[in-house]
Amino acid sequence: MKKSIEENLKELEGLNTIDLIAKKLNVKKNTAIKKICELKKLGYVETQGGGKQPRLYTVSRTKIISIGNPGLYGIINKYSKIKLVTSFNHRIIGRELSIEEAIVRAIKSKEFRVILASLGLFNKIKNWHKLYHFAEKENVRRKVGALYDLSRETIKVRRMDSKTRNLLLNAKQEEKYIIENMKSKDFKDIEKTWKVYIPFNKADLERYKE
Amino acid sequence: MIDIKQQNELFGLIGEKIKRKIECYVIGGSAMMYYGMKDATKDIDLVFENEKDMGELVHLLKDLGYKEKDTKILYLKKKNTPILLERETRFDIFLDKIISTVLSDTMKERTRAVYEYNNLIIKVISPEDLIITKCATERAGDRKDALEIMKKTNINWDIIIKESIHQAELTPYLFPVFLLDFLSELKIDLKADIPKEILNKIRKISEDMLEKKLKNPRKKQTLS
Repeated sequence: MKKSIEENLKELEGLNTIDLIAKKLNVKKNTAIKKICELKKLGYVETQGGGKQPRLYTVSRTKIISIGNPGLYGIINKYSKIKLVTSFNHRIIGRELSIEEAIVRAIKSKEFRVILASLGLFNKIKNWHKLYHFAEKENVRRKVGALYDLSRETIKVRRMDSKTRNLLLNAKQEEKYIIENMKSKDFKDIEKTWKVYIPFNKADLERYKE
Repeated sequence: MIDIKQQNELFGLIGEKIKRKIECYVIGGSAMMYYGMKDATKDIDLVFENEKDMGELVHLLKDLGYKEKDTKILYLKKKNTPILLERETRFDIFLDKIISTVLSDTMKERTRAVYEYNNLIIKVISPEDLIITKCATERAGDRKDALEIMKKTNINWDIIIKESIHQAELTPYLFPVFLLDFLSELKIDLKADIPKEILNKIRKISEDMLEKKLKNPRKKQTLS
């Protein structure tokens, strides 16, 4: 007997692989794929992985309407090697959050994991002037510069043009701490150049090298 | 009535017009629309944490032609009533307290979605907290909405029980008693899928609270 969508959702709620879905619904793998596609179209399924990794399907009975564009966490999770788990869905309506703005927002969050994960965004920057514009607006120019230098120690990042670098370096009257009371044991040279304290040690950046 | 598309357009307009970033929480039917639990709602219920942000929105809505309506018509002599602003749609704007419920820090932490409409940031409270805000009212529509929430999501009953105890600490009301009444009615009249052991657990908490109150009547607590 054909099960209703609600019955299927009840059985599949949570994290699944396609084999698990087939087992739970007692159907063949092909039918399971069909069923999950149907539920995905209706907005009850979110997917992760794919490619080399096995695809995971998160089935929820609550349909989260995905309006707008990804917010800070969405951008970080799309481009950075370090992913973030959030308890809420952040969406931006009416415009797209650029990578440049996302970096500045991450710094403004003052959250350790968010800033650490945002380092992975520096290699996606195309418009250094745009990055400067957002950094100036939020008064975090030296912090942006310091984190850029830090990201270059760990990942492959395009060179920042000298004009932007000098503008960032010339910023005055900015806070010294990226995260209150946190200083680095390992990146003293970057801290000295930019006159801000880096909240990370070498060990924190290991995950970028994995 | 307003649907999610119209609500998005309206929030988009407000976000464009408002001069600085303001944040608020969406509750009621408006929040249910974000979860796909409702197609349309008669009013937009927003809760602000600070008066300044609330004032900014009220001012803007008035500029957009929204007229303030007398609260007594809808809420009679209730406390913590919202500012009502009406044009084609109605905004019910609360400050921190929603009639008998307080927008607690634990509720804020459980925010499920954040939508940024330029300068207007809308936070959607969790389905569990939607039930909490609905349980202290007498409106039949709220019972229907709560039933729909229970059907469409896997309710974490522990959250609801803990929050009702927390609300009893924050407000002068015996909140678990409200909750017990509300859920019992939903189970009996509307055949809601509420586990029996959950009702028993809330009954026990309510009885203990009532007993405590009777022993110590000096603490100001009311049942209505």
